[in-house]
Amino acid sequence: MDRIVEIGGYAAGYCGRLFAQTGHKVARVETGVQDPAYVSQDAMSAFLHAGKQIVATNSVTLVGQLVEKADIVVVDADCADAIDDWRFDEWQSTVKVAITPFGRTGPQRNRQATPSTLLAMGGFTFLMGDPDREPLTLPGHFVEFQAGAFAFSAAQACRLGSMSNSIDISKLEVVMALSQFTTVMWHCANIVRSRHGNDFWSVVPTNMFRCKDGWVYINIVPGFWDPFVAFLDLPELVLDERFITNTRRMRNREALHEVTQRVLCSLTRDEAQMRAVECRIPLGSILTFEEVLDDKHLAAREMWSECLLEGEKALKVPRIPWLIHDFSPTADMSEGDS
Amino acid sequence: MVAGPLKNVRILDLTHVWAGPLATRILADLGAQVVKVEAPMSRGPNVYPGMPIAGFIGGHGGNEPYNKNAAFVKLQRNKKSVAIDLKSDMGRRTFLNLVAVADVVIENFSARAMSGLGLDYKRLRKANPRIIHVAMPGFGLTGPYRDRVAFGPTVEPMSGLTHVMGYSQSEPRSTAIALPDPIAAMHSVCAVLASLRRRDETGEGSLVELSLHESAVSSNGAWLVDHQLGAELARAGNAHPAMAPHGIYRCRGEDQWVVIACRNDDDWRALCGCIDLLDDSGLSLLERQEKRQEIDQDIENWTLLHDHGDIEKRLQDRNVPVGHVRRTPDMLADEQVQARGFFVPLEERTPMPGNPIKMQGISSHDWTPCPRLGNDNRKVLSEWLGMSEEQIRSLYEERTIFDHPPR
Repeated sequence: MDRIVEIGGYAAGYCGRLFAQTGHKVARVETGVQDPAYVSQDAMSAFLHAGKQIVATNSVTLVGQLVEKADIVVVDADCADAIDDWRFDEWQSTVKVAITPFGRTGPQRNRQATPSTLLAMGGFTFLMGDPDREPLTLPGHFVEFQAGAFAFSAAQACRLGSMSNSIDISKLEVVMALSQFTTVMWHCANIVRSRHGNDFWSVVPTNMFRCKDGWVYINIVPGFWDPFVAFLDLPELVLDERFITNTRRMRNREALHEVTQRVLCSLTRDEAQMRAVECRIPLGSILTFEEVLDDKHLAAREMWSECLLEGEKALKVPRIPWLIHDFSPTADMSEGDS
Repeated sequence: MVAGPLKNVRILDLTHVWAGPLATRILADLGAQVVKVEAPMSRGPNVYPGMPIAGFIGGHGGNEPYNKNAAFVKLQRNKKSVAIDLKSDMGRRTFLNLVAVADVVIENFSARAMSGLGLDYKRLRKANPRIIHVAMPGFGLTGPYRDRVAFGPTVEPMSGLTHVMGYSQSEPRSTAIALPDPIAAMHSVCAVLASLRRRDETGEGSLVELSLHESAVSSNGAWLVDHQLGAELARAGNAHPAMAPHGIYRCRGEDQWVVIACRNDDDWRALCGCIDLLDDSGLSLLERQEKRQEIDQDIENWTLLHDHGDIEKRLQDRNVPVGHVRRTPDMLADEQVQARGFFVPLEERTPMPGNPIKMQGISSHDWTPCPRLGNDNRKVLSEWLGMSEEQIRSLYEERTIFDHPPR
C-alpha cells in the first residue's frame, strides 16, 4: 500500500480516487481554491474524495513536510509556474506527478486554460455539433479525469518498475493523445474531419433516432447491415441497390435515415432495444440520470457504493469501472435479456 | 525494445477496434513488451475493397494494403505481431504456451468469445496461475445486458452524457466520436497496472473485467451524485453552470470559432478590458448568467471583427482562457506541442500523437512503427518459447501461423 498526497484540481482528485479505491492511503491537500465545476462541490467531493484524508492548508512548508512521507505526490495546477511555487523540484518523494494545462516546458507553459479551451485546441470541439451551427464543447470533466488517469498510470508504472521519477503531464497533450483517427485522416487521406450533428458520417446508419418515448442511438458498421434489415423488418432492403454497400448507404444517407426513422417512431425505446437484442445490433437508449441510476444491469453488477453526506440520504456513487476476480464469474452468470 | 518502467511486463494483446488497441499502445509506450496476437484475417484481405476510413499510410495501400490502414496503424506502435489461428488446436496450444510465460492477456471480445475459443480465464490460469486476464466486453461478463452488442457510440447515451449534451432540451447531441472508447482505454491501462501491483503483493493472477458501459457511467459519476442531491441539469449548448461567459463564438473567416471561458470575476474584468461592448466589469457571476444572451451577443459582435489569432493573443495577454476551435492542420502546427515534440513522425513521416507522459526513462527516440502482420512470429516464438527454426517452419506449413492474410 502506497501513501499518496494529492494537491489541487479535479485531475489530481480523480487520480487520487483511483488510488483510494484500489486500496492505497490518500491524503488530499485542500488549498481553498477550486476551479468551477459542472456540479456542486458536495457532489464532486462525494464522487472524488470518499475514503481520503483531507488536510486543509496552502502552506508550502507544511505541504513540503507532508510530501516527504509520501511514496507518490500528484499536483494539479493552473500553469507551470504554479507547480514551481510549491517547490515541486525540491520534494524527495519517490514519484512526483505534475499536471498542468500545457506541461512544464515550452513557450505556452504558463498560458491559462479551461477544459473547454483545451478541447477546442486539442481538436475535439471541431468534431462535435451541427455543421451549420456553432460547434459544441463536451460538458463535464473528461479532460481532467483522463489527465488523472494518465497520472495514475504513470505513477503506478514507476512503482511497478521500482523507479523514482518526476512526471510532467500536459492536459492538452492528453486530449490530443486520445483523439481517434483525426490526424492520420488528414495526413494520409487529406480529409479534415468535421462535425455532422449526431451522425458518425463514415458508417451509415450511425445516428440518433426518435422513438415514441425518447431517442435511441444506432451504430451499424458494415457487418451489421443484414441484422439491421431484420431489425427494421424490411427484408426488401437487402436487395435495394441504394443500400447494398456502406459507400452506397453514405450516398443515400437521407433516404435510409427516413426509412429507419419511420420504423423507430412506432416503437418505444424498450421495444427498440428488445428488437436490437433479438437481431444482435448495437443500439443504446438515451437515458436520463434517473434512468442510469435505476438501470437493472448496473444494479446487478453492483455498480454503486453508498456514500453518506451529513444530514443527507445515502447517495449512490459509482465504483471504479473495473472488477478484479480471483475466479471466473462466467461460471455463475446471471440471466441475460436475450 | 522500447525503454520504460514496464520493460519486464509481457502482454498478449488480442484487442481490436479502438479502446483495446489504444490501451495496449499506452502500455507499450511505457515500455511493456506487447505482442499483438492476430487472426490471419484480422487486418482484412489481401486486396482491399476500397479506401479505409482514414486512408493508407503514405497515401496508398501498395502490395500490402492490410498493413497500411492508417486508423489501424496509428494504434500499433511499439508492439510486435504474431499471427496465429486460434481456432486451430495447434494455434490454441501455441497461444497457451505464450500465456505460460506472459504477465497479461487483454482482449475486448464479446462476453462469450474467449470461452468459445476454449481460452477463458480458467484455462489461461491453468497455463499460468500468475496470469492477469483483462476482459473488456461492452457490458461486462455478467448481468442482464452481457450479451448485448456494444460500440462506443451506442453506450455513450446510456451513460447519462447525452442527457446534458445538446443545443437545447429538444436537441440532444451525441459526441459522434465514440467517446466511451478512449475513456475505457485509459481505465483498462489503470486496471492492468493496479492488477499487476496487486499480483506483486499476493503472488496470484486474476481476472479483470472492464466494461465499456461502466467505464462511461463511472466518468459521469459526479453528475449522477449531483442529481441525487437535487440538481436539475439540462442541455444548454455551450453554457457552463459555474462560469459566465462561457461559449463558442464565431470569429472572422469561414467556420472559424473561439472558445472563451471566464472562470471568475478576475477573468470577467480582464475580458471587459479587451471588449469595449462589455461595459460593466462589476457584474457578479449570477448577474452575468442572467444576462447571458446579451453578453454572448456582445462578445460575438466583437469576435466577428477579429481573426482567431488576434483574439487569442489579446485575451491570453490578460490571462483570460481562450482557445481556437482547431481543425487538424492547426493542431499539428501548435507551437507548444511542437516545442515539446508531442507529434512523432513515425510511419513514413506521418505525425502520430505521442505520449502525454513525459518522464525520465522513456522517449519516443526508440519507438518502433506498427509491425507487419506476423512480423515477429519467429522472434517471439524463439525468444519466449525457445522454439527451433524447424518447429516454427512446421507451424507455417500447418497454417497455424501466418505472415499475410490467406489468398
